[in-house]
Amino acid sequence: MTSEPIIAARGVTRRFGGLVALDDIDLDVPRGIVQAIIGPNGSGKTTLLNALSGASHADAGSIRIGGNEIFRLKPHRIARLGLARTFQTIRIFENLNVIENVKVAAACHTPTSLFNIVTSNARQQQSEAEIDTNAREALEIVGLAGRANDHAKQLPYAQQRLLEIARALASKPKVLLLDEPAAGMNMTESMTLLATIARLKSSGITILLVEHNVRLVMGISDHVTVLDFGKKIAEGAPSEVQRNPLVIEAYLGRRHRHA
Amino acid sequence: MKSWPILALSAAVALAVPVVAHDGYIIQLLNIAILNAIVVLGLNFVTGWAGQINFGQAAFYGLGAYTTAIATKAGLPWIAAPFLSVVVVVVASLMLGLPTMRLRTYYLAMTTIGFGEIVRLMIVHWEPVTGGTSGLRAIPGVSVFGFGPQGQVQHYYLLIATLGLAILIASRIRHSVLGRAMIATRDSEIAAEQSGVDTIRTKLLAFMIGAVYAGLAGCLYASSIRFISPDSFSGTQAVLLMTMLIVGGMGSIAGCVVGAVALTILPEALRFLGQWYLVLYGLGVIAVIVVAPGGLASLVSLSQLRRANAG
Repeated sequence: MTSEPIIAARGVTRRFGGLVALDDIDLDVPRGIVQAIIGPNGSGKTTLLNALSGASHADAGSIRIGGNEIFRLKPHRIARLGLARTFQTIRIFENLNVIENVKVAAACHTPTSLFNIVTSNARQQQSEAEIDTNAREALEIVGLAGRANDHAKQLPYAQQRLLEIARALASKPKVLLLDEPAAGMNMTESMTLLATIARLKSSGITILLVEHNVRLVMGISDHVTVLDFGKKIAEGAPSEVQRNPLVIEAYLGRRHRHA
Repeated sequence: MKSWPILALSAAVALAVPVVAHDGYIIQLLNIAILNAIVVLGLNFVTGWAGQINFGQAAFYGLGAYTTAIATKAGLPWIAAPFLSVVVVVVASLMLGLPTMRLRTYYLAMTTIGFGEIVRLMIVHWEPVTGGTSGLRAIPGVSVFGFGPQGQVQHYYLLIATLGLAILIASRIRHSVLGRAMIATRDSEIAAEQSGVDTIRTKLLAFMIGAVYAGLAGCLYASSIRFISPDSFSGTQAVLLMTMLIVGGMGSIAGCVVGAVALTILPEALRFLGQWYLVLYGLGVIAVIVVAPGGLASLVSLSQLRRANAG
């Protein structure tokens, strides 16, 4: 059985002035796997995530998420089509508490009716109750349920990262993009994160992971795409990619010399 | 909830005020303070929560007041005036908001300053209808099928009830999908978008709801004070409304009310100082911003936090 990939990108190109940050990238992500995008600094990993999520549109190309063309669609429309993401630099809502942060995304598929809100009628209370349940579930998954009522900015750094994942999960995504989720985490926190990612995969969510730390991703990824200077230079199972001379030269080689 | 005792106490004080203060002048001042509080609550949606700087709030206040004054003086039954005022400010806020909500913060500030100036110039120069700089007098009072408040004290209770309703609705919006979306938009527009929030629509709604608050307050201003002039809705007033929001506490419902009441009463209370009043007023505002950058409302939560840490 050949089901369509959940993400199918063709010829994605992004220029910043004279710099070609993404050069004609093709990317297929099959459903239900963990796929990693790796590459040295400045290779275009985050630019690719931004193009996929609509945060910063590609200049050319075609991007289909679950069969829907999303090229140049507003990010909130892409989110409602089932794509959620986290950020490399944390972007939590500082003026909301922990559970409210998650509720913002949990309301992703709830239409807002000013009339219902103002009259606080039965329908409004029911939809708030549903949002609350979804948000608590998402907090439970990342282990933040106990901090639901704390101020979001009072959370320690690693937990703010988990909060972003909970927020992304609350919109019930088909695909989850994680941009360097382990950045700034210690070994224990990274291990917990890996376990969480594995659990999400087994619940059927496709995960596309950008990571700088190669060793971290090799264990959990089913498929690895390697970027260098905005070009895709290799793709395949982690073990194949690790042996690829181009990858070793572009990325692993340089790292080994430093290490 | 912890805030219930404070809420009940404030309500009791608000209801008891006319019993203690018989002075018509004080009641009149309080009536204006309450109207300002409603307008600042409206400003809080777009500026305090959605994070968009809006200097057009005084103009919406004025549009509501002039619509009501002109319509009721022309013989329209009062009951229709609030609806007409709302229609006018909704149309105006849509026309202004649709193109500008895509702009970033500072451009919006500039656009709304321009809008305020256009409204003021219209009021000043369309003399046969608006009375020009001398304003409009003898505006018919509030009257619903022949019943209406008589005297300042009854107006006070009408306005307090309206403020209560305005607070209730603001609080419901704050704890709904819409309120959270507004604050998310302020904190990180891109993270809000990626969480499925249509940030342009959210900003536009915040702007429109704020305009409706101002429009209704303007309608009540015209029919309870019975006299309006362009000065009450000028650019200076727009800056004053923004100051009330900042001093009271951006994003805090209680802060809006405290800021509006304090900055309406303070200039009158300090009148005996003559020209020194402005110096003291300016220093006071600076002091609040330095001591409590989150406004007067944040002083309460700050002391709570200290007590929690100490205990």
